[in-house]
Amino acid sequence: MVERTLLVTARLGLHARAAAKVVRVAQGFISRMELRRVDNEVTADAKSILSVLMLAASRGTELHVIVEGIDEEAALSAIDRLFADGFGEREQESPG
Amino acid sequence: MEQPHEVRFKGLGVSEGIVIGQVLRMHDGTRHVYHWRINIADLEAERRRFRAAVQLARQQVVAIKKQAEKRMGKDHAYIFDAHVLLLEDEKLTGDIERQITDEQANAEWAVEVVGDRLLSLYSEIKDEYLRERGSDIEDVMQRLLVALSGVQPRRRSLSEDAVIVSQDLLPSAVAELDLEHARALATDTGGWTSHTAILARGIGIPAVVGLRDLYRRTRTGDRIIVDSTRNEVILHPAPATLERYQAETASRMKPRSSGAVRESGPVRTVDGVEVRMRANVEVPAEFEGVEKFGAQGVGLYRSEFLLARRGVAVSEQEQQLAYEEVARVAGEDGVIIRLFDLGGENLREQFQEPEKNPALGLRAIRFGLRNEEVMRTQVRAILTAAENAKLKIVLPMVADVSDVRRAKTIITDEGNKLTEAGRGFGEVSIGAMIEVPSAVFMADNIARIVDFFELGTNDLVQYTLAVDRGNDEVADWFRTLHPAVLHSIDRSLKSAANAGIPAIVCGEMASTPAYAVLLIGLGATDLSMTPSAIPRVRRALAGIDSRDARVIAQDCLSCETADDVESIVRERFGKLWPDLFPPKNLPERRQTNSKTE
Repeated sequence: MVERTLLVTARLGLHARAAAKVVRVAQGFISRMELRRVDNEVTADAKSILSVLMLAASRGTELHVIVEGIDEEAALSAIDRLFADGFGEREQESPG
Repeated sequence: MEQPHEVRFKGLGVSEGIVIGQVLRMHDGTRHVYHWRINIADLEAERRRFRAAVQLARQQVVAIKKQAEKRMGKDHAYIFDAHVLLLEDEKLTGDIERQITDEQANAEWAVEVVGDRLLSLYSEIKDEYLRERGSDIEDVMQRLLVALSGVQPRRRSLSEDAVIVSQDLLPSAVAELDLEHARALATDTGGWTSHTAILARGIGIPAVVGLRDLYRRTRTGDRIIVDSTRNEVILHPAPATLERYQAETASRMKPRSSGAVRESGPVRTVDGVEVRMRANVEVPAEFEGVEKFGAQGVGLYRSEFLLARRGVAVSEQEQQLAYEEVARVAGEDGVIIRLFDLGGENLREQFQEPEKNPALGLRAIRFGLRNEEVMRTQVRAILTAAENAKLKIVLPMVADVSDVRRAKTIITDEGNKLTEAGRGFGEVSIGAMIEVPSAVFMADNIARIVDFFELGTNDLVQYTLAVDRGNDEVADWFRTLHPAVLHSIDRSLKSAANAGIPAIVCGEMASTPAYAVLLIGLGATDLSMTPSAIPRVRRALAGIDSRDARVIAQDCLSCETADDVESIVRERFGKLWPDLFPPKNLPERRQTNSKTE
């Protein structure tokens, strides 16, 4: 099991389009991935968009990511990159 | 751009007038979600139906997403990816399937319940931007509902010259229509007495029904001409056609507005027989017609509209307010409230599973006697409203005295309870709808225990002739002027006269001048009709001698077929009252039942 705390930096928070990206990334791995709000313990299965949306994570929300499974390291770094990238919503081209 | 060709659709003009406008396509009833119970044995099938709808909805979103990617770029199209993911989300679909199973609910209801629950969670989100994203969930839910019903979503606001084009309009859909702005109605199905027709006449806008596949072949915004006088609709009219119609509608406007004489009170025939003219109403949009067209009160208030509008049981207090409102409109002459005539083409679904043969099923008074709480609530609302208003109750579709007795017991019982509770209420007289053959045969007996009769000629024709009035295929057999129908009316009127009680004739028959004259000939002196028909019926009755009508009616009673009756009416009316009844206002000569193109 690996874990890390990530910060939602995107201006619009983890809205539907961003949530879709998170879910797509999470679904690309075998490992289970859980997102937990640091402030109120609400947790979400990162592979369920409904669940991610219900986190209602606006900009500045801290999320604790817990990944468990055979490809946990790769999954964690992929999700880390997505968050760091502001869900690819910045003005510049998203990396291929 | 290629100009689409002019296409003409033949139908049945059910409400007079010509309108040039723009198509507004409307689906029937997608907004209302009804709840019904699924048998345990059918739950798996219901879940399968739901899964199929999910698949369909998903395919649609994927297609939209592809389109969007092409036009707006991949990143923007990601919003639709969220919709796809929602439709793939087992948390969501699992919740809905569990709802179906646990509550034995239909899939639509389960979608609605789960969707509402999610949306209410979402509405609590503090971040405004995220909160608004609830619309994505709503969008997906709507798409699921649409996929379940096999129709298209969304209702747009009406433009100035909107012509509503629909397959069929359910009462609930019509209720939501902004009727002030609808200029005309055109529907694929329906007949003279369909809901669309009755409403259109009530509101006084042109309508053509039975247009078969018009709906499928239109797009919202298409130019269209609705010509009810020629029983047709013209889609994409050519410039020459358009010009001709514009000239015609301009010339029609004048005599109409100047010739509208406002009259009220009873109409007197040439020989001095007074005929009372009341109004049939249903939706509030029709209320203003009561005064405008000089009706003497409301002869038939179709109360089931209250249920159609809500989709759920309407409270006693809401009903009371509605009855008081219609009583205000009717004034001194009062209102006859028909108890919920639920079942058949109305909204039975919300209470139970569909019946195989609804017209002969649990409807009207039978429904009320079986679902006593619904009936008792309505009765209480009427009795309470009657404290300060002139209200009467009419019992729909009674078969014989036993239905009447049972209903009267309930009404008395509710009155006693109100007395015990110290609540104010008013006495109401109770009448019976005579609209099925058994009631006609037993009319003498029924007349002895009610305060009045009300003859529902639409249903009387349908049940006497065993012809479904909504079915195009048997439209040739739906003959209002069938001798059997005339005998039924004759017999019922005589029973009422012998018992010394009034009889009001309230079907669509009363609103057609030629038919109204025959009704007078059969002895009717109290008619109730769609408000906008009152002036033309008044004009006809004021110009005839009831003794002539009596002679003609007697001859009609001895006819063998509807064709014979119609030819008597055509010849004799045309000869006696050529000004009142030019050929186009009389029943057309029929070919035969075998159709030739």
